[in-house]
Amino acid sequence: MASELSVLFRRLRTWAMLLALAAIPVLIAAAVKLSSHPVAPGRGPPFLDRITQNGLFVGVTAMIVSVPLFLPLTIGVVAGDTIAGEANLGTLRYLLVAPAGRVRLLLIKYGAAAAFCLAATLTVAAAGALAGVALFPVGPVTLLSGDTIGVGESVVRSLLIAAYIAVSLLGLSAIGLAISTFTDVPVGAMAATIVLSVVSQVADNLPQLEWLHPWLFSHYWLGFADLLRQPISWTSFGDNALLQAAYIVAAGALAYGKFTSKDVLS
Amino acid sequence: MTRAWLRWLPAALVPAALAAAALAGSYQAGAATSLPHKTAEEVIAMIGRADVRALSGTVQQSSDLGLPQLPSVGPTATQGPASVMELLSGSHTARVYIDGPAKARFQVMDMLAERDLVRNGNDLWLYNSADNSAAHMTMPAEPARAAAPHATPTPGVTTPDVVAQHFLAAVGPTTDVTVGDGTSVAGRTAYPLVIKPRSTGTLVDSVTIAVDSASGLPLSVDVRARGQAAAAFSLAFTDLSLSAPDAALFSFTPPRGAAVEEKASPQLRTLPGKTGQAPQAKATASRPTITGTGWDAVMVLPAGTMTADVRSAPMLTQLTQAVPGGRALTTSLVTVLMLDDGRVFAGMVPLERLQAAAAAK
Repeated sequence: MASELSVLFRRLRTWAMLLALAAIPVLIAAAVKLSSHPVAPGRGPPFLDRITQNGLFVGVTAMIVSVPLFLPLTIGVVAGDTIAGEANLGTLRYLLVAPAGRVRLLLIKYGAAAAFCLAATLTVAAAGALAGVALFPVGPVTLLSGDTIGVGESVVRSLLIAAYIAVSLLGLSAIGLAISTFTDVPVGAMAATIVLSVVSQVADNLPQLEWLHPWLFSHYWLGFADLLRQPISWTSFGDNALLQAAYIVAAGALAYGKFTSKDVLS
Repeated sequence: MTRAWLRWLPAALVPAALAAAALAGSYQAGAATSLPHKTAEEVIAMIGRADVRALSGTVQQSSDLGLPQLPSVGPTATQGPASVMELLSGSHTARVYIDGPAKARFQVMDMLAERDLVRNGNDLWLYNSADNSAAHMTMPAEPARAAAPHATPTPGVTTPDVVAQHFLAAVGPTTDVTVGDGTSVAGRTAYPLVIKPRSTGTLVDSVTIAVDSASGLPLSVDVRARGQAAAAFSLAFTDLSLSAPDAALFSFTPPRGAAVEEKASPQLRTLPGKTGQAPQAKATASRPTITGTGWDAVMVLPAGTMTADVRSAPMLTQLTQAVPGGRALTTSLVTVLMLDDGRVFAGMVPLERLQAAAAAK
């Protein structure tokens, strides 16, 4: 596991993706700072107008902006590469020569992808907090309910939001891993994972498919706003965790079926 | 070969097991429960005796009025006619906290936004997080009154209890009231009280009010329209606790940077067919009047209520159809007739009845 993590985080690609994610909050903060006219409330991404008053909102805005596309994009790259990448490089059979077992390899690969989920969301949150503190005044944070909390509690809430988003992305990682076992072409697995996340979000916006919505893995992706209410509403956190767990188990079973019965030739 | 087949088994069994677990969970939620039998009169009396002074819970409201649904893309800050529209279609979740008659908080939870209503004594605050605006109102001091079991609800706080009172007020010789088998709402056992209007002049098929078997508090209201299988309007607690909420919830100070507006004291609105609220004594010209009684009552808004530019708003023209003399909005439950002279007729009745009422004036 440790070696897998060190392989993942020693890759130039991983760092490039994390840097790109960190650039989102920095870009938002710089754009708001340099813009001559203030942002009108209710325009642009939520909370954009609050940034000038309170830098701590940079992280929240950045997370809202990156959840629909940027984070799934990076997760798709990492999760799609897990098995197919090794197969493409011809290293998969060497990994399987070691007496570790295929199930264990799957688990380790998934663990690394999950660690990347957490690293990616924390990167956005941390870069947002740093950019916000550097460019804007910091003070008590106004919640969605209109109540105000201190800086310390707002940091806790930001971390909770990052945890929520990391959990949200676990289902997509599992799907990426499952797709990755079906192909030897990593780009195909990456693209399929990303396309699935987009399709899921589009379907989630069509009222005609309402019966399907609670079953889509992206259904609760923006539900982290419930952590910004007073008192915190934990319902969506629980529902989201349950849904992602179901996707992990289902996609994991699929990956197990394919990977353990697969003839590894490369 | 057999072994390879076995390895695929979890991939088939796991989704099936998950689906079965999800279905079993939803089946149990709506399972019938056995309760000692009660007559309709006894259940109505239970509601009358209900003395719930404090509660905190979550209510879910959904409407299915047969209107076209609009895709909800991302977080929206709806203003103007669109915010009326969102009440007519789709669903909403709100948290409600009540502690005694003078303390209430109602939080409508939107996608990435929230609208709050906080009442503490005579102070009433409205807060909208979408545009960070707050409004303050001072409630008119309440006249000394006999301790009524149901204190004046804070306007805007929509709980199943408040809505149920409107429909219970319509119970009379024109309605059939029955009690169904015990059900379960928000984890509590409840008596479903079914109110069926005898009149054929209304679009309402039946109203079901689930009454908590322990406290007598209405837990859910479902309104069914004629010729539609799904409930046209439903409002239900999904989670309810009858303990007093945290007192800090009721103290509201507008956040820094919010636009604060001082508003006149709120007016109590009357709704068509819901004759529960006594018309206020100081009725002015712009107040709605109600013709007819019971289920086929028609609410009339006098000329000037709806200005021409509101009438020609693209959203409204898309949803309404042209009828002689104006435009009409027909849904499975409510019909609204907007005449070119500015008068508006509304009621839970077919369009013909509204046109008859308009012609009679």
